[in-house]
This record gives sequence, C-alpha cells and structure tokens, in this order.
Amino acid sequence: MKKALIVLALLSAFMPAFAADSGIVTVYMPSPAGLANKLAADFEEKTGIEVKTFQGTTGEILARLETEKANPVADVVILASWSDGLSMKESGQLESYVPANADRMVPGWIDEDSMLFGYSASAVGVIYNTLIYPAELDADWNELADPQYADDIAIPDPELSGACKDFVAGYVNDFGWDTFEALAANGMVVPGANKAALEAVTTGEVGILLAGVDYNAYDSMAKGEPLSIYYPESGTVVNPRPAMIMKTAPDMDNAKAFIDYLLSDDAQRMVTEAYLLPGIADTEYDNRSTLDEIPQIECDWDEMMEISSDAAARINELCSR
Amino acid sequence: MSGQMNGRRATSALLIIFLVILIVCPLLSIFAEAVFQDGHFGFESAAAAITQSENAAMIGSSLLLGFMVVVVSSVIALPLAYIFSRTNLARYRFFDIVFMIPFMTPPYIASMGWILFMQKRGLMQQLFPSLAFLSEWFFSFGGLVLVMSFHVFPFMMTMMKNAMLSVPSVLDEAGAVLGVPFRTRIRKIFMPLLTGNYAIGALLVFVKTISEYGTPSTLGRRIGFSVFTTDIHRYATVAPIEFGKSASLASVLIGICLLIWMLQNYITMKKSYTLISGKGISVKCVKLSGAALAAAVIFIAAVVFFSMFIPLFSVAASSLIKLRGYGLRAGNFTFGNYAAVFMEDTQGINALSVSIFLAVSSATIAAVLGTLIVISVRNSSRQLGKIIEGISLLPEMLPSIVIVLGIMLFYNSVYKVIPIYGTIWIMVLSYVILFLPYTIQYVTSSYSQISQSLLSAGRICGGTPFCVFRRITLPLLSRGIMSGWMMTFIIAFRELVTPSLIAPTNTLTVSTYINRQFEQGSVGKGMSMAVICILFSTGSLLLLNKAVNRERR
Repeated sequence: MKKALIVLALLSAFMPAFAADSGIVTVYMPSPAGLANKLAADFEEKTGIEVKTFQGTTGEILARLETEKANPVADVVILASWSDGLSMKESGQLESYVPANADRMVPGWIDEDSMLFGYSASAVGVIYNTLIYPAELDADWNELADPQYADDIAIPDPELSGACKDFVAGYVNDFGWDTFEALAANGMVVPGANKAALEAVTTGEVGILLAGVDYNAYDSMAKGEPLSIYYPESGTVVNPRPAMIMKTAPDMDNAKAFIDYLLSDDAQRMVTEAYLLPGIADTEYDNRSTLDEIPQIECDWDEMMEISSDAAARINELCSR
Repeated sequence: MSGQMNGRRATSALLIIFLVILIVCPLLSIFAEAVFQDGHFGFESAAAAITQSENAAMIGSSLLLGFMVVVVSSVIALPLAYIFSRTNLARYRFFDIVFMIPFMTPPYIASMGWILFMQKRGLMQQLFPSLAFLSEWFFSFGGLVLVMSFHVFPFMMTMMKNAMLSVPSVLDEAGAVLGVPFRTRIRKIFMPLLTGNYAIGALLVFVKTISEYGTPSTLGRRIGFSVFTTDIHRYATVAPIEFGKSASLASVLIGICLLIWMLQNYITMKKSYTLISGKGISVKCVKLSGAALAAAVIFIAAVVFFSMFIPLFSVAASSLIKLRGYGLRAGNFTFGNYAAVFMEDTQGINALSVSIFLAVSSATIAAVLGTLIVISVRNSSRQLGKIIEGISLLPEMLPSIVIVLGIMLFYNSVYKVIPIYGTIWIMVLSYVILFLPYTIQYVTSSYSQISQSLLSAGRICGGTPFCVFRRITLPLLSRGIMSGWMMTFIIAFRELVTPSLIAPTNTLTVSTYINRQFEQGSVGKGMSMAVICILFSTGSLLLLNKAVNRERR
C-alpha cells in the first residue's frame, strides 16, 4: 500500500501541468524558438489566456494541419513563407479580421482580404565563415558559381525552409534557372533546414551559405561565432512571415486577441530583439540591416506561389546529383 | 469447480478482447488504410505504392542494409563471443557490462556523435587533419552499416557467447583423442553445433536493423539513404501527408518481420541439439598466449574504441564547446550549454519531466497489466493462453514505428468515441503497448520458477486464492516485476519513435528535444541533454543490477 502511495506521489509530481480547458489559444509557429516562447509568455501574462504552441518548420506545420483536418486544433498559424500563407488562403482555410494597428503596418505586409498579417519578416542573404574567407566577400549570386568556391557552398533545404523556398521562387521567376544550375554544378549541397545549414557554415563544413535566413546569422554573430552576412547586389527576397487565423479556430476570440498582440509595440520590440524585421513600419531597431538597406528583387507573389513547391523540389533534385 | 472454470474462461475472454482492442485493432487499421484508398476498396493503390520505382528501390536498399549489418556485426561479435566464452580472458566478467554500453546508448545519440566526429572540419579533422579522406568515405552506405553494426553487435555477441558456453569440452576432447586437428575440430564439431544459434542471432539482428529508426533518421538522412522506417515516418508526417502509402509500406514490413520470425521458429525446432544433459557440462578454457593473446587484446580494444569511445567522446566534447565556429581549441570550453538546457527556457526541464512522467507511468501500467496477463495465461487453457501470450508479444516482434503508426491511425478514426488523440495519454498508451513484452518476459521467467506445490501448500493451509496470490505468488514474482519495470523505465525514458510521430502540441521529450536541438537549434544544448540522458539511463541500469543482486543474496 505504501509503495502504491509513493508511486502515485511520484506520478503526480512529474505530471506535466495540464491547465483547465478555458482561455487557451493554440498557436503553430516556426523558429526562432526563443521568440515564440517569449511572445507566448508575455501574452499569457497580459491576458491570462494560456498559449499552447507547436513549433516546427513550415513543412512540419503544414503537415500537422493536414493530419488534424478532421479534428482541428490550431487557432493561429504562423508560417515563415508568404507564398504558403497565400496558398492556405486560396484553399479557404483562413478567417478575415482587421487587427488593431493594421494601418501602421509596412505597406504590402497585409493582404487585400486582411487574412495574412506579416507581423515580422526575414530576408535571405549570403552567410560566410570568416575563418575560411577572412577577406570581405561580396560576390553576387551567379558569381558564387565560380570555380574558386567549388564544393564550398550550401543552401538550406527549400522544402523545409519557407524563407529559402520563397527566395528560390522569386529569383527563378525573375531570372530563370541558369544561376541555380551553375551553382549545383559547382558542388552546392543541401545540409538541412535553416539551422542545420547555418551549423554547417559555422563549423566550416562549408564556407558559404546561400539564401540563409538573416536573423539566425545575426544571432550567431552576436554570440561571437566567426560569421558574416551580406545581401548580394542583384537583390534578395524579403519575406513577411504571415500570422493567420484559422477558419476552424476552436477559440476564435482568443485568436483575434493574439493577432492584435503580435502587432502591439511590446511584441514588435521582441521581434526586433530576435533580429527579425518588424511588421509595424515605425518600430525602431539598430541591431541589423534595416529594410530600406536591403536590395530587393521584384516579387510577384501570386506567380511565386504557383511555382514555389516545384522550384523547391527542383533545387533538391539538382543538388543531389 | 465448474463455476470457477467458467469464471476463468470469462476472465481470459475479457483479457483477449482487451488486448485485441489495444494491439490488434491498431495493426488492422494499417491494413485497412493500405487497402481502402480514396474511399474504395482495392489492392491496386497499395500495390502501386509498393511497386513505385523509388519505393521498390527503398525496399531493396533496406534489405541490403539488414544483410550487410548482419555480416559486419558477425565479424565483430563472433571473435568476441569466442574470446569471452572459451579462452582464459573469459574470467574478466566486467566486459559483460562494458559491451552493454553501445547497446544501451540510444542509436540516435550514437549516430549524432559519429556525424559530429566525421563531418568535414569536424572533431576528427581538427584532431588529425591528415585523416580528412575518411570523412568522404564515412558519409556513405558503408558508414551507415558500420554505425548500425556497432550498435547491435552486443546482441549477437551475448547470444553466441551463451551458445558457445553450452558446448561441452568433452565433444572437442573426443575429437582430439581421435587425432582430429584443431581446425578440423572447429569446422566439424564446434561450428555445426552452433549454426542453429547463429542463424537465430543473424535473423534477430536483421529484424532489428530493418526496424531501426534512430540511426537511419539521423545518419541515413544525412546521406540521403531512405529505408522502410524513415519512409513510413516521412509519408505520415511531412506535407503532403499520404497515410495510404505509409500504411502500404508498413504492411510490407510487417510481412517481412513475421516471415523472419516463422523462419526463426523453424530453425529453433530443426537445428537444436541436446547439449545439456544430467551430467552437467564443463567448458575448458583455451589459454591464449603470445601473438594470439596480443591479437585478442588489440581486437577488444579496437571494438571498445570504435563502438564506445568515438561516439561518446564526440557527444561529450560537443556538449562542452562554447563557440561551434572555433571547435576544439583551448579556452573554447564551457559548461554553459548545460546551464542553457535548464535556465534559458523551460523546454529542457519540461522535456525531462515529460520523459520521466511517461517512463514512470508506462512502466507502472505495463507492470500491472503484464503481471495480470502472465497469471491468466497460466490459469487458462493452453489454447487461450497461447492466444493471449501471442498477442501481447506482438509489439516486440514488429518494428515500433509500425505499431505507433497503427495507434495513430486507429485513435484518429475513433476520436469521437475515445478522444485521446493529440493528448499525452495516447503517448502513455503507446508506450505501454510497446513495452508490455518486457514485463511479460521477465515475469514469465520468474513465474516458471515457482513450484506448484508451494501454491498447493498455501491452499491446504486454508488460504483463499487471493491470500495465496498476495502472500506467496506476488512476493516470488516481485523480482521479475521489478526488473521488467526498470527495463521499461530505461527504454521508455529515451524512446524516440512514439514522440516523433504522435507527441501533442507543446510536448517535447528528451529524445525529440535532442533531435530538435541537433537539427534546428543549438548542437551544444542538444548534446548536453544527450549526455544527461546517457548518464541517467546508465545510472538506472547500474541501480537495477545492484537491486537484483541484493535480492538474490
């Protein structure tokens, strides 16, 4: 009997806290994990609504939504790819809402139906290891196909990284496939999602990472890793990260409150602290390149959405040869 | 009396229904998912999924991987088994425990260690830049075979060692007396007596290899090598989701495993010799000296170095490196990663407590359920007992990814009735199902040692059946139950397949935490958690050994 009691006591001690079912909002969001946790904690503190998060790459989040189609769980979904957000809208999964502060957002970071809210954004650039390339690097995308960089270049897996996928779609849409074919022929490898790709360039497994997300690089550089980043002059894609309310949201009101919160000044400050570009235009930051300093290529998001998945698959196919 | 019989039969029937719901239904939903695709019944889509060229190639490479791992792990295990059973080195019993280490190290952690060690500009190249050419070679099919063999060889080694110990020296001596030379004696006497055991060991290693998910999902993914388990996982978790394909592949895998178990059964029946008779056996040790001794010692040292030292060193070193960009360099070491696991956010602590919760609860439930099953198998008619035992041992015969996929499909479809999909309870359930066989095997072996006359004595002295159970049976079973509990606890603590398929939102376990940090976050934090995990399970195992030994005294 005593033993049974001890086991019970142990069980209850290790039992993860299951909060009551009232006042929750379930949010699926991509990295960075630190930001997701901070936003969740701050929102909980301000509103008393418990935030349940699932963190994964864009690919994992989309898969999760598909699995749960029969029993929807998510209220708010955040992706790292604007084009994936647009395709969710196209398949009728999203609820329209006009959040507070919508008028202060960066122009174009909210869609005309008011379903996608680009509360933050990332850009992809060229990240390189300064131990391997001590001199400052400024080669343009196509110049990295030069033999001097042979077998020392990598790209994040665009089927896992939304930001990389949108860059590939945008670049191919404007300039065609020549550059990527030349890069693949120059020995470009695909080490994995964003963080794995950054790890490869940090440890020097490769010297140069193309289309790596910038906020990860800024974060590692701040820690003292031997890295540097630049945006090639022919331009890159700045990718607003859409937060969206699911039509099937079990807690619709809380979902709307969470979107309002994401566009609040406090949340925006946390966004900049995570080295992301803020979605509210007048937010101040000085820890990274600002939006108007980044050269951008022309983006037709509707056309990019059409080709992005196939383009991502094509990159993997080219590089696996 | 007949009333009691009916009661027993009813209990057995109830238990069978319960086990069918628990274990058989999930497996059946896999077949259902495979053959009912797009709303209609037919084998076409399942067959199409299997014969699709990339899947056919995957099946081929899975089987090749299984075969090669059998070959390589035999090369490692057979000499060791001989050394530790029939030579004078056999008295160093502590190697029994040493060689459990690679088997107890979770395969995903060991392969992460290998990756960090071998990758371009990784630990090996920092220590020995001239060995860089090995990296290229390692990230290939050969490297995968090697890493998997270093994980499973202890299994074959233990089996073969026990088999060699039961071959009495008299047989060999008889040969020697008749003037048969040593080599011929090995070939004509020793080896034929062991073929049965070897065949069984080889088949088990084969099944274990094609069922393994940890190594293929880390090292295999690195080199773009997919096998059954990784493809089943991919179709079930990466958009676009295709449960049908996942289920078709799982069905094929179930078929292969069952076939191998039948083959193994057949060999056990046909190829076993009665070696242990009333006379007892004596095994004389060959005394190794000179070159033979040196060769044996070098071989042992090499196996220890490759199977334990490299992966563990690499994991531990990576957990202590401050800035990944500078690698192994004086002044670049820190315990900060360990602090970060616990202090930076609550994820690390949460993952640990979820894993401990799952391990304790599933081990406890499995211990109770398993004991009940063993007792009712003993008390019911032979046929019913066989059915019960057969069903409850199924989870051990089949790859865990298949079982978990079945659980996922089944509880998704009955969500309206049993709403546990997407909660932590489906994980508890899945763990109980996966690890039930451990309890059953441990308890069965202690039960078979209890003499019927003890129970009769209890009854004669006027004990009610319950009293006899509580005062006689249960105390005698307690060691088996305890061992089963600890074993389940250790294995469940680091389980990877269940949480990576069906963990609810917000829930990380130790294994998924390590995986996530390795792939998406900080390698340093991931490897710190890996070190904690290894220390925790090794510590538990030592405690278990100690507890069992004390009770034996």
